[in-house]
Amino acid sequence: MSGPRDRTAIAGVGYTAFSKNSWVSTLTLACEAVLAALDDAGLTADDVDGIATHRVGDSAAPSLVGPALGIGAPAWYLDQFGGGSVSHSVVGQAALAVAAGVAETVVCYRAINARSEFRMGGTGRAAPVGLEAQYQVPYGYTAPPQQYAMYARAHMLKYGTKAEHFGQLAVTQRANAAKNPRALMRTPITMDDYLASRWIAEPFRLLDCCLETDGACAVVVTTAGRARDLRRPPVLISAAAWGGGDSFLSGGETPADPTVTSAAELAPRLYAMAGVGPGDVDVAELYDCFTYSVIVQLEDYGFCAKGEGGPFVASGATALDGSLPVNTHGGFLSEGYVHGMNHIAEAVSQLRGDAGDRQVPGAEVALSTAQPGYILPVTSALILRKG
Amino acid sequence: MIKPVPDRDSAEWWERVARHEFVIQSCEGCGTLRFPARAYCPRCRGRDWSWRQVSPTGRILSWIVNHQPFLPDAPTPYTVVMVRLADAPGCVMVGNWRQSEEPVADQPVRAFYTYVDERLSLINWGPL
Repeated sequence: MSGPRDRTAIAGVGYTAFSKNSWVSTLTLACEAVLAALDDAGLTADDVDGIATHRVGDSAAPSLVGPALGIGAPAWYLDQFGGGSVSHSVVGQAALAVAAGVAETVVCYRAINARSEFRMGGTGRAAPVGLEAQYQVPYGYTAPPQQYAMYARAHMLKYGTKAEHFGQLAVTQRANAAKNPRALMRTPITMDDYLASRWIAEPFRLLDCCLETDGACAVVVTTAGRARDLRRPPVLISAAAWGGGDSFLSGGETPADPTVTSAAELAPRLYAMAGVGPGDVDVAELYDCFTYSVIVQLEDYGFCAKGEGGPFVASGATALDGSLPVNTHGGFLSEGYVHGMNHIAEAVSQLRGDAGDRQVPGAEVALSTAQPGYILPVTSALILRKG
Repeated sequence: MIKPVPDRDSAEWWERVARHEFVIQSCEGCGTLRFPARAYCPRCRGRDWSWRQVSPTGRILSWIVNHQPFLPDAPTPYTVVMVRLADAPGCVMVGNWRQSEEPVADQPVRAFYTYVDERLSLINWGPL
């Protein structure tokens, strides 16, 4: 199955400022990011006939955002339930709608007050979702950093992954963020800083964990042909895949190897759709809710052997001047946490060549991924190509 | 402590835990053992099942030592373990570990019941 390879494109990206308190509604954030993305593409809201987002009851729906921007009767919309696992499927589904001819110009957004209003998991207002919570919350096991720490420890036990491997990833991504004017955390950190940061849930320290951010990000999906006539260089959607895998559910329903994610199942399908392999990827924006998330994906997307993710990072391979620059914007750890959409937007910047001081020279193929399938046993990912 | 909210498939499991019975579901069609409680067997899709008493023992798969006060009334630090059941390696449970020493990888462990009230007990873990 090749999917609509290279028939659709991302024609624009837009952001709000990232902060710890936006002081505005998620509806306002969504509108601001959508308008910025349309402006980036050289379009207006009058050109939009599709609106898509994902959310977990924490953000403005397309049915609010559309009318708020005078888009009263979109030809297509998507209000996808889910958090970081589904972020990339939203853009993938927009690409399918455009390729199928049911919409021509779709805006995809994610807008969250994830620090000031609705924190993920166990703190603030966000309630654990799903039937598994009953087996976890009585034991004080409620928050994503706890769950990811549990899987990170399993990886350490099985493969000898070390705290310094996690630390190197945090240090490297912070160095990238230092070159990103949008990033919330731009002061460089050292390995000593990492090791001295306080425990959150052993084996995770504070600097293993992503930021909690107020902000929004949006991208414009249209046909490849139309994108070529717009303001910015088009970035083609070569592949979009999403689905489940033999993931480890913390509720124990389908227990398999806790060190393997749904990405291992998805990756071959994704690469085949694009007609590329891991060796063709010039830059990777990988879901980094926690340091370990990147390490396991480096393995499951085939950039190194299983168990070698830690040493791969320690080798410097994921730095800006390494063989596979990863999270060039600083990622959720240092740029900001917009649940995946900002990873897609950064991949677009890299392929357009407008990433400034953090530009990977000659980047032509990018991989961007969603939460790899812990907690919710599904994931999604995109392969984008310079148009 | 936040009390569990059973669903319609799991309510009887929680009732049995309250009676300190260590049970999981066994598929009548193919014998697959499963947890948590669900109506259908994910392997043969059969709907006939019965409760099976299994050994309340397992091995440590992973653990965390939690320091961040995610819940207001849970004193930190506390340890949460993930245990693979001895009689049903496909079944994994999480629970607390209230021991002076940290667990170690693959350590044999046994379940302990923690009484909350007459309708609720929790399953916690310690060395075998």
